[in-house]
Amino acid sequence: PVLPEGWAGEKDFKAVAHLSPATQRTIEPVGPHFLAHARRARHKRTFSEDDRI
Amino acid sequence: MAAEGASAGGPAPDERHAIGISFGNSNSSIAVTMADDKVEVIANEDGDRQIPSILSYVDGEEYNGQQARQQLIRNSKNTVACFRDFLGQDFKSIDPTHCHASAHPQAHNDTVAFTIKDKAGDEESTVTISEIATRQFRRLKQSASHFTGKDVNSAVITIPTNFSEKQNEALTKAAKDAGIETLQLIREPVAALLAYDARPETKVSDKNVVVADLGGTRSDVAVIASRGGMYTILATAHDYEFAGVHLDKVLQDHFAKEFIKWNSIDPRENARSLAKLKLESEATKKALSIGTNANFSVESLAEGIDFTSTINRLRYETIARKVLDGFNRLVEGVVKKAGLDVLDIDEVILSGGTSHTPKIASNFGSIFPETTKIFAPSTSATAINPSELQVRGAALQASLIQEYESEDIEQSTHPAVTTVKHLTNAIGVLAISDDSHKGIFTPIVSAETAVPARRSIHIPVPKEGGDVLIKIVEGGSHIKVTKPESAPTTNGKKESDDSEDSDEDSDEEPEEQREKVWKVGNVLAEAAVKGTKKGGQVEVMINVAVDLAVTVTAREVGEKGGVRGNLSAP
Repeated sequence: PVLPEGWAGEKDFKAVAHLSPATQRTIEPVGPHFLAHARRARHKRTFSEDDRI
Repeated sequence: MAAEGASAGGPAPDERHAIGISFGNSNSSIAVTMADDKVEVIANEDGDRQIPSILSYVDGEEYNGQQARQQLIRNSKNTVACFRDFLGQDFKSIDPTHCHASAHPQAHNDTVAFTIKDKAGDEESTVTISEIATRQFRRLKQSASHFTGKDVNSAVITIPTNFSEKQNEALTKAAKDAGIETLQLIREPVAALLAYDARPETKVSDKNVVVADLGGTRSDVAVIASRGGMYTILATAHDYEFAGVHLDKVLQDHFAKEFIKWNSIDPRENARSLAKLKLESEATKKALSIGTNANFSVESLAEGIDFTSTINRLRYETIARKVLDGFNRLVEGVVKKAGLDVLDIDEVILSGGTSHTPKIASNFGSIFPETTKIFAPSTSATAINPSELQVRGAALQASLIQEYESEDIEQSTHPAVTTVKHLTNAIGVLAISDDSHKGIFTPIVSAETAVPARRSIHIPVPKEGGDVLIKIVEGGSHIKVTKPESAPTTNGKKESDDSEDSDEDSDEEPEEQREKVWKVGNVLAEAAVKGTKKGGQVEVMINVAVDLAVTVTAREVGEKGGVRGNLSAP
């Protein structure tokens, strides 16, 4: 992945497109990782905030 | 009988003694998580870990499990079996097929009941399905309390994926009446998967798993997307034609015919003889899962004639082929229903009593590619006993949540928390060679990952180092079929047939090659990491938020700073 000549982006980053639409599905409320997810969702924390705790 | 005095929501968290319960039509089991996080499947007073879900009454005395099962021969009218699926149902919607040889279900108001002599004397009583289930739970609670030395008062109970809300409520109520607070109902295939993922050697990863729960009277298959340890069911299938009893039937018919040959009496025509034939056929089937030869022997099978015979596994697999093939179709069907190909499946978990059958695991091995792990006793030395998977999962979940307030559990399992967006496509980086149209896609976040999600990977920089372009793209996988040179005239879907053909056939018709390839979709973002060292690595981290906004961070491993950028929500 060599940077082509003349490539430029603001702060070296160029946003091109958005994600395609996603599907609504239901996670199974089971297991330690779900419980961590539920905790984040209910306290509206992000991953990095959660890491610090 | 229920423990009174506890608050309406059940015992407080610090007074809870929780277990896992798997409650099946054929068998139930109970398990508890010990102090060292090991799950112990509890044996009842008879020493059984697989406790037949049967209740029987003799002179007002209640028998459960194996003891009740023996009563199917002499006391079938007062023996209730195979009742789990009747809970929360009205009489019209139930299938009483499996109750022919025991107490018959009957309509009772808007529910199902049984007429049995459950008291001393000749008086018959009508016992509702709810009460039957409560009695079963009471026995399970009793066995668990004996084992733990504490009053077991709460549980996580496993349910099939197609249980309705009404059935869930009926189950919860039946357990409550037995003094068991239901902390949570969890779905059987998910419990099985949790039992495997909880093993210390299992690393959390993104994988597609098929859980084939092959039971006594029904088989349920689920395809689950496991992403970062979170599970989403993509598709399920339920089948009542291919299950353990149908394998029993094969043996029953086989031995009945043999008996007829010698004695000209059909033991299937007499209820008691048939009951004996059934019980022994099941025992023989179980023996054939362990050994390659099994005995079949019944005292006074019909008209006072004893019968003894043997069968080897190969013969059994031949006569049972029709049923065994049914399991294959069931699994192939549900993978297709999930919109996946067998090449997309990373693991197959065999769960349920019928999964002990070695031939089923080896058949599945031939459906899936060699890279797919098949977890069954006969294919994997580290496999967990398939009969215990669900109850182990339930016990683990019980230990995870037993300290929570009931309210917390309710809020956490609320649809607002569980229903979230899942990515349609994978997100990854495109490593571009000289030709910018040809790239190698490396997925970072898999399709069907629930958001929010965060993943990162390390990718090597070009040999000489320097400035690197990180191109973030969406990708979809599809199946590339390469037909061999001397292509046979068959169309693309013949593959499954080929695998069943004998060797000589496949020599003539070489199998077409099918492989999973990535198709690169939209380019999402580009980022430049400048001045990388020789042989360095770039860490690319992708964070997808609930609203599908994406944050991309790229930096050289060991260096500070790096590039960071956002894509706003669509």
